[in-house]
Amino acid sequence: MNLFEKIFNHQIISRLEDSGTFMVTSHERAWLKTMLEHPAAAEAFTPDTLNKLHTILGPDPLMDISSHLIEKARSMEKQVYHPLLRTLRRHILNKTGVRLTYVIKSGRVNSDQSGVPYKLEYSMVKREWYLLWYHLRHRAVMTTRLKNIHSVTAEPIEPSMADSIFRKIGRMLDSRKSEAVIEIVRDYNEELSRILYAFSSFEKDVEYDSEKDTYKVRVYLLGDDFEYLLSKIRFLGKRVRVVEGDYLKRRMLEASTKALERYGVISEGEELSS
Amino acid sequence: MAKESFDKEIQFLRMLVLTSGAFSRQQFAERLGISVHTFDKTIRRLKDVISSMHQHLPQEQSAELSETIRFSYYDSTDPLLLFLFRAKSVKESESQRISLLLGAMNEQARSAMELLDMCCDSLSPGLPLPDEKTIRSDLKYLEEVGVILKEPGPRPYRYRIQDDLVRSLSNDELIDLYDFVDVMANTQVPSVQGYLLRDGLKKHLLRGQFEQHAIEPFLYKYHYYSRILDEAHLFTLLHAIRHRRRVRFLYFSPKSEKSYASKNTNPLFERDTAGKAHKTLPLKIVYDHQYGRWYLLSHSREGIRKYRMEGITQIEEDESVDEVWHEEKKNELQEKLRYSWLIDTGKPVTVRVRFYNPGDSEPNFVKERVLLQGQWGQIVSEDEYSFIYEITINGTTEIKPWLRSFGSSCEVLEPIRFRREMIAEWKEIQSYYESV
Repeated sequence: MNLFEKIFNHQIISRLEDSGTFMVTSHERAWLKTMLEHPAAAEAFTPDTLNKLHTILGPDPLMDISSHLIEKARSMEKQVYHPLLRTLRRHILNKTGVRLTYVIKSGRVNSDQSGVPYKLEYSMVKREWYLLWYHLRHRAVMTTRLKNIHSVTAEPIEPSMADSIFRKIGRMLDSRKSEAVIEIVRDYNEELSRILYAFSSFEKDVEYDSEKDTYKVRVYLLGDDFEYLLSKIRFLGKRVRVVEGDYLKRRMLEASTKALERYGVISEGEELSS
Repeated sequence: MAKESFDKEIQFLRMLVLTSGAFSRQQFAERLGISVHTFDKTIRRLKDVISSMHQHLPQEQSAELSETIRFSYYDSTDPLLLFLFRAKSVKESESQRISLLLGAMNEQARSAMELLDMCCDSLSPGLPLPDEKTIRSDLKYLEEVGVILKEPGPRPYRYRIQDDLVRSLSNDELIDLYDFVDVMANTQVPSVQGYLLRDGLKKHLLRGQFEQHAIEPFLYKYHYYSRILDEAHLFTLLHAIRHRRRVRFLYFSPKSEKSYASKNTNPLFERDTAGKAHKTLPLKIVYDHQYGRWYLLSHSREGIRKYRMEGITQIEEDESVDEVWHEEKKNELQEKLRYSWLIDTGKPVTVRVRFYNPGDSEPNFVKERVLLQGQWGQIVSEDEYSFIYEITINGTTEIKPWLRSFGSSCEVLEPIRFRREMIAEWKEIQSYYESV
């Protein structure tokens, strides 16, 4: 196995496109065969398809990664597939509308809400699937956990309407984006790589001030990403400091003050003010 | 293969992805340990590869490469970094010939002689015509990598493309397969083969009746994009472990400023490279989900050695070692890693932590997260407001960031030294924001 086999070369691939040739190497088949051992496979395919795949891949070897590879600090895997995934994905494919019944946080059930499914989103942190959809009556982009959806039925809509809704959702999501700037505390410049790896799951730009030898990371994010970003900032501790973004700064002050209270330490600032 | 060029391109891309836009050409080249000239050349080459792979990308020359490959969440379905694995250079004549052969075998099974005739007829003028030996060795290679099959039957042997995977599935089944590959490549490691397969299936679906919209239904929140690059050495190292071979490489600690050194033939440039030559026996590979990083753990004369995969360049296999001894070392390491939060092999210590539940109205996301991410730790007691989590781990360094990420919902109880460390850190963090 080598990821640098010449058969993966981009020129060969783009030439094959003209002839309509589908090329798959034994590496890829071995990977697929290994992944088919995962319990998610049973939810991803009908039993017929799964049988077919097993037959096709019969002669191929499995990857022997499990005896040499250890995964650390991973979230327990609750859900890789969800039974509704196949259905919803087909509604997205066919640009159909849906009628959804789902539970909201308070435990209340919202019945028969009309909407257009947009994307299916998996959280690597929570190990769960979410549906992003457009609520027709509220004209809002919604995020609903698949596990909270009780029922889905298809509801026809005009394809042109679906397209315009998709465009609208794109614009709405873009307009909700905000920014924060996080500075790497200079004493920790040696750990630049570690810190940037931790931020690599965000859309970002890095600025370097060569005179002060300081790095700043400008992170672009949606409203609901703030909590996750905060947990990353706390994760990195003294190494980073929020320099732009009042909300984040306030939350960090609050977290540190409350943490010190838990430890029974009264901060100097409070002593002065009391 | 042009190993050196790949080492350079990986380091180049990784730096571009991680520090997007931070450095001027000069600074970038300096940190990478290459000349500005090489920097420009590499940028040009990578741009060429990208534009041949992704025709839909903006073509204007002014578009910076760093912008092109910048991670953009709602556009992230095609991992652009994958193109690194496509960027391997192949001679023009070879790439033409191989694609011609595959195209021909796609239509029907062919013998080597038929293929030779075809090649002689259709190769671009100006390219050298292949001989029978060349065609036979191409066929041997393609059979080895599993792209073609030799059909049963008498000589002369006939070969056909091995595409049962798509040929025997209906369109509906292909969608299921494509989705499965997409989901698994994005949620499991290793993933590069999955992304390559996804790429092939996607092209196949787009050639059929499906439109772009149909094949990008999924998004994945917070996964580490750059992990793809660090898989570059994975299979070389797995091969070495399987065959009990030592490996040699030039290592750049992620803490050093430079991350690459060209193999200079000119003695004038042979000054101190920041990298160090290492020879070691690979035993285990660790993927760290906390940061999305890959590690190599190995045995050297000094004992256990740990390397970040991103710092390894110019890797080569060396001699093999005794099987029994290899097994022994592997087991020793495995035992030492049992209590590693990540890869710490220090002395085990028991950590006790109190976690505080959020207010009544909210779901207990603190507990949910502890159960989800707390590895082998246990909740040992619980009351209305809080619960105590206990874990035995090698040293407290690696678990500390995770505990700190809970903010004030987490209080370290034991060991007392660790508790004091946490207090000191929170004091310092608080001082960052006192003026707010």
